[in-house]
Amino acid sequence: MTVRLALESFDPQEETARFAAGREDAGALVSFVGLCRAETAGASVDELRIDHYPGFTEKEIGRLTEETSRRFDCPDLLVVHRVGRIKPGEAIVLVAALSVHRANAFEAVRVLMDYLKTDAPLWKRETGPAGARWIEPRAEDHIRRRLAEKDTA
Amino acid sequence: MVRLVFLGKFGDLAPAGLERVALPQEVKTLADLKSWIARTEPGLGQAMEKTPTRLVLNQCVAQDLSRPVSDGDEIAFLPPMSGG
Repeated sequence: MTVRLALESFDPQEETARFAAGREDAGALVSFVGLCRAETAGASVDELRIDHYPGFTEKEIGRLTEETSRRFDCPDLLVVHRVGRIKPGEAIVLVAALSVHRANAFEAVRVLMDYLKTDAPLWKRETGPAGARWIEPRAEDHIRRRLAEKDTA
Repeated sequence: MVRLVFLGKFGDLAPAGLERVALPQEVKTLADLKSWIARTEPGLGQAMEKTPTRLVLNQCVAQDLSRPVSDGDEIAFLPPMSGG
């Protein structure tokens, strides 16, 4: 299990390749990459800033990742999350899972992403021509988070 | 002295001098501290009233606001999170 906060832009493909290198025991590799969009709800975005609480953020993402790993019997999970200033097109988050079979890996990635949306101590601030605004989880994110609590692979 | 950390939008509303403060005598618990902040910085207090706010005491989530605070503690105020 690896959790890393990235202060600079990262290459999701490179991270995923390193994560899966030499793992001949795994039959499935599933990954999700969240990207910074140039537009949100019709408003253009020049920059995204993600704040974190050093120490606590890493610990909490680690806890969520461990919980997901236990629930889906999927010990090999990777989370790389950007913090700081991010430009449209750059990767914000990478979640990857290695597993013997695909079902657990798919579910672990999906549920961990649902957890990260509402429970990871990170705060997003978008800046565009109209100024800056803080992003809060959408109603849909909370619903997905509640559903994720019940899901099993 | 205690260290106060204001995350996300709370950080925009908290003046720099609030990062490290001497505990006023009437502040014994986390709830007292929250009330004291609301009196000292009404804008910040209103923002914390309006939005679900989590408190973190010395890097551990504090659900019970009757927990005591003392010199040397670090208390963080967290607005709703938005990762992923």
